[in-house]
Amino acid sequence: MSGHPVQAPIVAEQLVRTFGDLRAVDGIDMTVDAGEIFGFLGPNGAGKSTAVRMLTTLLRPTSGRAIVAGFDVATHPDEVRRRIGVALQDAAIDPLMTGNELLRLQAVLYGIPSGKVKSRAAELLERVGLTAAADRRVGTYSGGMRRRLDLALSLIHEPTVLFLDEPTTGLDPMSRMTLWEEVRRLNREGTTVLLTTQYLEEADQLADRIAIIDKGRIVREGRPRDLKAEVGSPTLLVAVPREQADAARAVLQEFGESRPTAEGTLGVGLRDGARAVTDVVRRLDEAGVRLQHLEINEPSLDDVFAEATGHRLEGE
Amino acid sequence: MTVAAAHSPGLALRQVAALARRSTRETFRQPALVAPSVIFPLFFAALGASSFNRATSLPGFPKVDSFLQFSLAATVVQGVLFGSVTGAAALATDIENGFLDRLLAAPTPRTGILIGRLAGSAIFGAAQAAVFIAVLWPFGATVRSGVPGAAVMVLSGGIVALAIGSLMSAVAIRTGSAEAVQGSFPLLFVLLFFSSAFFPRETMSGAYRAIADANPISYLVEGLRELVLTGYSGTAVLQAILIPLVACAAAVMLALRSLRRKLAAR
Repeated sequence: MSGHPVQAPIVAEQLVRTFGDLRAVDGIDMTVDAGEIFGFLGPNGAGKSTAVRMLTTLLRPTSGRAIVAGFDVATHPDEVRRRIGVALQDAAIDPLMTGNELLRLQAVLYGIPSGKVKSRAAELLERVGLTAAADRRVGTYSGGMRRRLDLALSLIHEPTVLFLDEPTTGLDPMSRMTLWEEVRRLNREGTTVLLTTQYLEEADQLADRIAIIDKGRIVREGRPRDLKAEVGSPTLLVAVPREQADAARAVLQEFGESRPTAEGTLGVGLRDGARAVTDVVRRLDEAGVRLQHLEINEPSLDDVFAEATGHRLEGE
Repeated sequence: MTVAAAHSPGLALRQVAALARRSTRETFRQPALVAPSVIFPLFFAALGASSFNRATSLPGFPKVDSFLQFSLAATVVQGVLFGSVTGAAALATDIENGFLDRLLAAPTPRTGILIGRLAGSAIFGAAQAAVFIAVLWPFGATVRSGVPGAAVMVLSGGIVALAIGSLMSAVAIRTGSAEAVQGSFPLLFVLLFFSSAFFPRETMSGAYRAIADANPISYLVEGLRELVLTGYSGTAVLQAILIPLVACAAAVMLALRSLRRKLAAR
């Protein structure tokens, strides 16, 4: 397979990376199809960035293999690098350089012909809305501007496979939306995107398919809609006085399996759907439990995550 | 599929030049960081000129117009030694903040990434040497070998900067810490003081003389000093260029080996 283009732009087979005794990535199998936005969803330390660093040739796999853009990352790393765009976590950008200078440097590193460097840099600056700030040092940019510049840098050679490692971490909602729109636009133009995120909404909104990763393993994979449907029943969340928690828990068990929730609330997956809510309230009342708060949630990716891992992503 | 250009010698040169431009620009954009390596050697030269002028009549001292003229070569080497630490510290910062990963993710030869970073140090070292000569010449530090000799001194400054920059880069790559690089600075200071940089070896005795005899910096400084005090000679040029060149080759190889080891261990 190595050395010959294959259909899927990203394929990983039993990919493992260890650091001493720690198995940061513990046997990942995945395939990302051409034209997809594929999301790696998981908390900090789940192994997302380690997986991306292997797929982008920055880390050697301990075992297993990965084919990216048709080439084996371990045996043909340079061929892979020539074909992919990478925007790493934290937007590592030299603060002493201007946006324009960085893009021109990146253009030379990717072998863009001298005659095209200036126009390519200008084109990308315009694309990410940084033309006015092109000649300002990056140290003066906001977090959102740095991320947009980082994205522009990763696109310098018009890659068809793009890796975005937590592209919106730390951004304000407006900057996040702007970046999402740009990622969608790139995808519409044919770019295959693999992004990592710890934001449920980002995975839900952007990704065609997601892989939930926890402790180095993919624990669920599929389209967000399908994954949520698999969880099935809605989650009822109730808050009760601390001393009545055991009594409430006993009542809730009659209506379905308990689900992990944030501290201070109890959760149950309602076996019979939302219509069971009135029965739950009545039974809690009969048991003398005083309700402080009640909320019903349709299945979310957080439910999928909770069901797969036993803990929730939000609120961690 | 759009694919970045494949390696070629021409592209590799363009890449090294672009990275050298970046590191040079970065150096000159941090005046607070680089000013000490220009100001302090000039300060020491001025201090020496006002304090040690009578030392020039000591037995064993070469024939000089002034102590300032004698100390010009030492000022060049001192400034370049201190300045080249800045480039290596910047490499450590690139490692710390992840910028090196951005470079490594590009289809650029690893050697080119390192050479590009070090070339910036070499350019800064040459610029320092030119500044020291230009500033001290009007105050009596006449370079008897004239412009060709001064040009050799500038070239030597660049090579010394490349050698020390490479050595310190090996520390930067192994530790990934700008602090560790800065922490190595006193070693250079000691090496400089146990050489013939500030006084001729003929005026030394005992252990100090033995260390200065074994210290390659002595021979480098003496080559440069001959260009200043005596005139242009093949021996002086060889000493001023060859010694740093040999050190440079060894140090560049060490830095490259450190980088390869680091990448292989990933």
